[in-house]
Amino acid sequence: MGLALVALVVFLAFRAPGFFAPGNLRDLLVSNAPVLVASIGMTLVILARQIDISIGSQFAIGGVVAGLLAKAGLPMPAVATGTVAAGAFLGALNGALVAGLGLPSIVVTLATMVLLRETLRWATEGVWVENLPAGFQWFGLGQGPGRVAVILASLLAFAAFAWALRHVAAGRAVYATGSEPEVAHLVGVRPRRVVFGVFVSLGALTGLAALLTAIQFIDVQTNAGVGLEMKVIAAVVVGGTAISGGRGTLVGTLLGVALLGAIGPALTFLGTEAYWERALEGLVILLAVAAEAFGRRRK
Amino acid sequence: MRVADHRFRFLSHEALLGAFVLAEVAYFGVRGVNFFTVGNVFEVARASVEIGLLALGLTAVILTGGIDLSVGSLLGLSAVLMGAAERSLGLPVSLACLAGVTVGVLGGALNALLVARFDIPPLIVTLGTFSLFRGLAEGWTGGVRNYTNFPESFLFLGQGRLPGGPPPQLVLFLVAALFFWLLLHHTAVGRGLRAIGFSPQGARHAGIPVRRRLALVYLLSGLMSGLAAVVYAARLGQAKADAGSGFELFAITAVVLGGTSIFGGRGTVHGTLLGLAAVAVLQNGLRLADLPAELAGLFTGVLLIAALALGRLVSRRSHE
Repeated sequence: MGLALVALVVFLAFRAPGFFAPGNLRDLLVSNAPVLVASIGMTLVILARQIDISIGSQFAIGGVVAGLLAKAGLPMPAVATGTVAAGAFLGALNGALVAGLGLPSIVVTLATMVLLRETLRWATEGVWVENLPAGFQWFGLGQGPGRVAVILASLLAFAAFAWALRHVAAGRAVYATGSEPEVAHLVGVRPRRVVFGVFVSLGALTGLAALLTAIQFIDVQTNAGVGLEMKVIAAVVVGGTAISGGRGTLVGTLLGVALLGAIGPALTFLGTEAYWERALEGLVILLAVAAEAFGRRRK
Repeated sequence: MRVADHRFRFLSHEALLGAFVLAEVAYFGVRGVNFFTVGNVFEVARASVEIGLLALGLTAVILTGGIDLSVGSLLGLSAVLMGAAERSLGLPVSLACLAGVTVGVLGGALNALLVARFDIPPLIVTLGTFSLFRGLAEGWTGGVRNYTNFPESFLFLGQGRLPGGPPPQLVLFLVAALFFWLLLHHTAVGRGLRAIGFSPQGARHAGIPVRRRLALVYLLSGLMSGLAAVVYAARLGQAKADAGSGFELFAITAVVLGGTSIFGGRGTVHGTLLGLAAVAVLQNGLRLADLPAELAGLFTGVLLIAALALGRLVSRRSHE
């Protein structure tokens, strides 16, 4: 995986050096920051042997909440807190159904994906959140510093979770729950709490991702985030996290986001039509997992 | 004794779902305008055939404990290449349909190869082909080309009426449903698929060719995507890259609502048909009763969770 990324970078350095212009790299970082933030949470959920396909709908609701709070005249820190809290609440809804009632996460989140999306559409009637206050876009910092803030926020979230996953007991409990729930229980981990916790974390991070996206535009679209779940799960899987839980790292996820995020812009710089982006994305996912399967077999 | 309990549970799930569908029909019969007409029944059926075909294939896949997220994307790719064969290559429409179905089978073969031969988890394989198939359709059409102006004889398949009023594609769907019902409920292959869903290891020890059976269900799922693509193009009179977007989720919803366990091993074709009917009647009824269309998604989500929670409660009690 790391090799694939290095290969892509070397190839681009020769064929399309313009790709590495600071402006382009910065745009790339800004546009992928929300995906990275959501992918952190998805990594936790998959490590705990669960999945969440409702994050696209959570993302849409997060954006609308951010817009409405800002229009209500709240200061930006309060808007940010409220958006993250709203995301955490939606994550808690999934977590309660999965950990509390013991229902399979793939079906629960399929249901909440449809339910949340349609509730939002019903509530907003598809109307975008417009006329946002001046202090909302780019946190009121202006475009330049605002972009830096978006990148910093995503990297800060990444660093915090990467550190906690390795060095805090709760982080190691996530791995334990994903590899052997029964054993984890015996050594004092409470798998249900861990599962609830990872869903809440993913919800909160999805809320943050929605905020980091919403502030980049003049209006908040109410139909945002369709297909986000596939993009994020793909990044986590390409990053080497096992779908069966217990194995994987956040650094891998970071590389996965970088690789998949670079494909589209790289195609443009190589002069190929951007329409083939999705096909190439799919190919990268399949190659990554096939390579892993071959590696396992050789061992 | 446990077997008897399980059988009782299937019955109650499907009986409950059947009762729910009847309640829906009764409610919309009173509230809706023109709900209780033969014409409307056929229109509901016409609109459900594509999702229904996908749901049949998915019932077999999920029965083995697998999943196929790529069916909607494969529908799109098959429809686009079918359109290209007919409009650009100028093939006769029957050959173009055959080409579309073949694309479906080939797509299914790719899933089958990766799942059954390379032992990669189906969720990941079909997540990859979900992007790959849709991406190929987008790349081929440049994101904009839309194949239209299909011959009348072809459009009849999707838009016409047989004597007495039923839509022609309904016949295709009933044949497919009968095929899956016989396969899953009345053959050794079907029992094998169930055994794989309960325990792949155990099935292997019992002498079931697990790899070949797994390959079969993904091939069949691909075949259903190809057939659904032909019906889709004939019903809408067009084929473009976004055909069938999100259909996989509707189809999975119908299957799971119909009582098939997402972990495999349990499920029926008639359950899937009831699940399909529950969602289709809801959508149609809300429209005819002039209620917000968004309620359909909302109720479907609640229904799905309620069905799961109920199943969970019943299984807990039977274990005690």
